[in-house]
Formats: sequence, C-alpha cells, structure tokens
Amino acid sequence: MADVLEINGLCKRFGSKQALGGVTLSVPERCVFGFVGRNGAGKTTTMKSIIGLLKPDGGEITVCGERVAYGGTKTNRFIGYLPDVPEFYGYMTAREYMSLCGRAAGMKSSDIKARTDELLELVGLSDEKHRIKGYSRGMKQRLGIAQALINRPKLLICDEPTSALDPVGRREILDILKDAGKQTSVFFSTHILTDVERICDRVAFLEGGKVALSGDIDEIRKKRSDTAVEVLPEKPSDAALLAEQFPSGEVRDGCFTLKNASAQDAEDLMKCILAKHISVVRFERREPDLENMFMEVIGE
Amino acid sequence: MIILPFFKNYFTFMGKELLELRRSGRLLLLTVLFTAFGVMNPAMAKLTPWLLQTMSDSLEASGITVTEYTVTAMESWVQFFKNMPMAMLVALVMFGGIFTSEYSKGTLIPLLAKGLRRNAVSAAKTSIMLLVWSIGYFLSYGITFVYSDYYWDNSAVKNYAFAAFGLWLFGVLLLCCVTFFSSFANSAAQVLLGVGAVYIALHLLGMVGTVSEYLPSYLTQSGELLTGQANPSDYTSAVCVTAVSSLVLLIASVPITSKRRV
Repeated sequence: MADVLEINGLCKRFGSKQALGGVTLSVPERCVFGFVGRNGAGKTTTMKSIIGLLKPDGGEITVCGERVAYGGTKTNRFIGYLPDVPEFYGYMTAREYMSLCGRAAGMKSSDIKARTDELLELVGLSDEKHRIKGYSRGMKQRLGIAQALINRPKLLICDEPTSALDPVGRREILDILKDAGKQTSVFFSTHILTDVERICDRVAFLEGGKVALSGDIDEIRKKRSDTAVEVLPEKPSDAALLAEQFPSGEVRDGCFTLKNASAQDAEDLMKCILAKHISVVRFERREPDLENMFMEVIGE
Repeated sequence: MIILPFFKNYFTFMGKELLELRRSGRLLLLTVLFTAFGVMNPAMAKLTPWLLQTMSDSLEASGITVTEYTVTAMESWVQFFKNMPMAMLVALVMFGGIFTSEYSKGTLIPLLAKGLRRNAVSAAKTSIMLLVWSIGYFLSYGITFVYSDYYWDNSAVKNYAFAAFGLWLFGVLLLCCVTFFSSFANSAAQVLLGVGAVYIALHLLGMVGTVSEYLPSYLTQSGELLTGQANPSDYTSAVCVTAVSSLVLLIASVPITSKRRV
C-alpha cells in the first residue's frame, strides 16, 4: 500500500517561536488518520504546509509521490481541504458554491452536476435552497466537507472539523468522515480524543513540534494494556484499609486506585471487599484510553 | 497548454465576481451613482441662471449686480470634469477591499486548495474593477453628452472627448494601484492609504514645472483642453507614462501575490 502523504522532518518557525521541529509521518491509502495535539501544537501549520499555503523552513512533503512547492497548487489536485473555520461566499447557495469549486478544480460541468447532487445528499444539504450566509456552523462544516470532496481527492485534509460543534453535529461530521474514508484517505486534526477512538485507524500525537507517538490505534492500545481498577467505598476510611492490603495501590479523594491491575488483581480486590464487609459505591475496571496515553505523551 | 487553464480559471472567477457585484447590491448602487453624476452635470448648468436670479436680491444687497447670464455646453462639461473625480473616489472606496477582504476572511483558501491559480484571481478582480469603472464612466459621459448637445451645442466645447479619456485613464492607473497595494497590504484601509499616497505624491511632484507634463496627474487638468488653449498632442507623454505605469504595477503585483501568505 503506497503512502498518499509523506512528511519528512518538517520545520517551521514564526519569529522566535519554533512551531514545528521536524515532523515526520506518513498516511497510507484509504485510512482515517487522526492528528492529535494541544491547541497551538502546530496542527494547522502542518496542514497549511501540505497544501502549499505556508512556506516550511525545512523538510519535505510529498503528496502521491509529488513534492509540494510553496505557493504552487499542482499537488493540490490530489487534495481536498477543509479549513478550521471555513468561510464561504455568503451570497451563494450551496449548489452555486459547489459549482464554483468544481470549475476551480477544472472539472467538466456534467461531472460537477452529478458530483454536487451526490455530495450534498451525503452531507444532508440537498434540500437546502437558502444562501450560505444563513447557515449554522454545523451546516457550513458539512458544506466544507462536500466542497473538499468534489474533485474526488486522494487525500482529504480536515482541520479540527468537529471542535466547534454540538454533540449531534459532531456525530454527523464523524459519520461523514468515516464514510469518506472508504474511498479516500482522511487526515484530520483534533483535540477531542473520543473522536479519534470512534473513527480513526491510525493516529499521531503532536507535541512540542514533533510527533511524539504514532501508529495503528489497536497496536498502540495493545502496547499499553495498563488497566486500572478503581474502588470508591462509602466510608473514606475503608479506602485506607484497602491500601493496607494492596500496598501498590493509592488513595486519592477517598477513592482507591490499583494501577496496572490484572484480572487476577481485580478478583483479589473484590474478595477482600467482601471479606472486610466494605460497602462500595463504585467498582470500576478502566480500559486504557487515548486520553491517558495522550496525557502521558505530553507529560502531564 | 499553460494558457488554457489560466483562462478557464479566469472566467470561472469572473463569473463569481459578477455574481458578487450583483448580489451585494454594488452593481445597483454604482449604476444609480454614475447615472446621477451624468444627469447632474447638465442639470446644474441648466439651473445656474435660475439660481443666480433667485439669489440676485441678496447679491445686490451685498453690492454684486447680476447681469444677463448665458449658459453654454461649456458649463455642463466643466461640471462633468468636476464631478467625475468624486465618482472615482466612490469606486476606489468600494473596490479598496476587493482583494484584502478575501484574504482576511479566508474565502479564497478552499478555492486555492483546489488548484485555482492566484494570478487568475488577480486578473479577474482587476478586470472587474476596470470594467465597472469604464462602463460607469461611459454612462456618465454619454448622459452628459446627450443632454449638453440637446440643450446647447457641444461644438462650443473643444476636445471634451480626449479630456474625458485622460481622466478615465487616470482612474485606470489608480485602480491598478489597488491591485498592486493589495498584493501585500492586509486591509482595505492600507490599500486606500497607499493609493492616497500615490495621488498626493503625484500632485506634489506636479508643482515642479518641468516634470508636471509627464505625470499622470496632468491628465486631470482639462481646463485648457476644453477652451482649445491646449491640444491633445500636448498630453502624449502623460498618456504614455500613465499607460506604462499601470501595466508595470499590474506585472509587479504578480510575483508578490503568488508568494503572499493567505
């Protein structure tokens, strides 16, 4: 499987601030790739460099085997791009805007028409007759995905497509992206980790201008199978009692946590609770989630 | 091979600009404005005697005697050359942000990301400005011409067509300045400041006797042309300088625009 996008040692500095310090990653074909990082970690800078809107200070980007040149738009024929806050011409209707985008991409008018119908259907805007200026944020985001997909790009780049949306709008966008991922590679940035868990095949964590961790989501999960067990007893003093029995655990706010607990550990803990007649409010076995991994990666 | 996609991009963006002009109401506003400026010139000339008569009592009280005043087509054309710079100013203010508003809002990004050429965008926007200015200007000119000839006789005025051409060309230069300054400015205010600076610099330079006839601003001095004291041939160098500098401004904006941050 060839890589659609390859980034090698990408560097960018804004004045005295080093935004990117050698980002290296690759996105294979037909994959949903989550690009995770804090606000200001350099996600947008990386994305703008990919579409040639920013001039990198070092490193190389190739899209479908062709090198990206700053200010040039040649490699953009492979790419569909959705900016973080997409702005469209408010005086146009969705159909008119799609037609403008299709022509800008150099498509034939019959193809534009067919593709517009198909995509507006996909994003649920096909019955929308109003002009774009009256659209909600979620509608604009959906139109943004539709316009990005019009020329059947090999790579769809979305800059924080869900961060400004309500839960319903977010779910809609994620479903659309997941669908799109069946035909093209989707590279999207976010700081919402549940979004990544929901739809991504691969993930890269960006921290301090570098990729701190990247790879297949399931593999990353396997590597770090540190499940924890949490017990919240009714009486806070009982938490201390458990801590005496299990010295490797810790007590915080009346809640006892046993880290790196195996299934056997969980069973032992349960037995102990029964034997000591401890009344329990909550007993939980925590799966390793991306949030913890992310926190670990960024060192907090 | 390279030219064809450019023109495709150019006409695509022209279509977008025309739609914007129509839907934003600017087209209507500019039509009304240029028509009004056209009608105003002969109307002011026509009303002058009546105005003077109604004011004659108060004027006499202050010691000025109003004698018989005959209006010719000259008054109408003098009004035209007084009013058109105003129309030019309105057009400049209206088009000052034609580039920068797209940069600051980010509306160009999705289109550029699809491979739309930046130089096609600049060419389309410049064409729209020049087209609107030319059509509007010709509208005002036509109305003034027809009314002046109907009420009086245009043959009493010399070289009005050439003088009108000169002022139009000066407007073209200022609009090319808009394209040029937009290639690096970040707001409409910065663009207009730049255009204003060019205008003032030209007029200051014009005070130096020897160079004034080579300057574009020379084209705005129509008084001697209309009375026949000056001939179009006296303006040859100013016309050439204006045309060449307009072209240079447009060409210079291309490499700057292609490297600017969007």
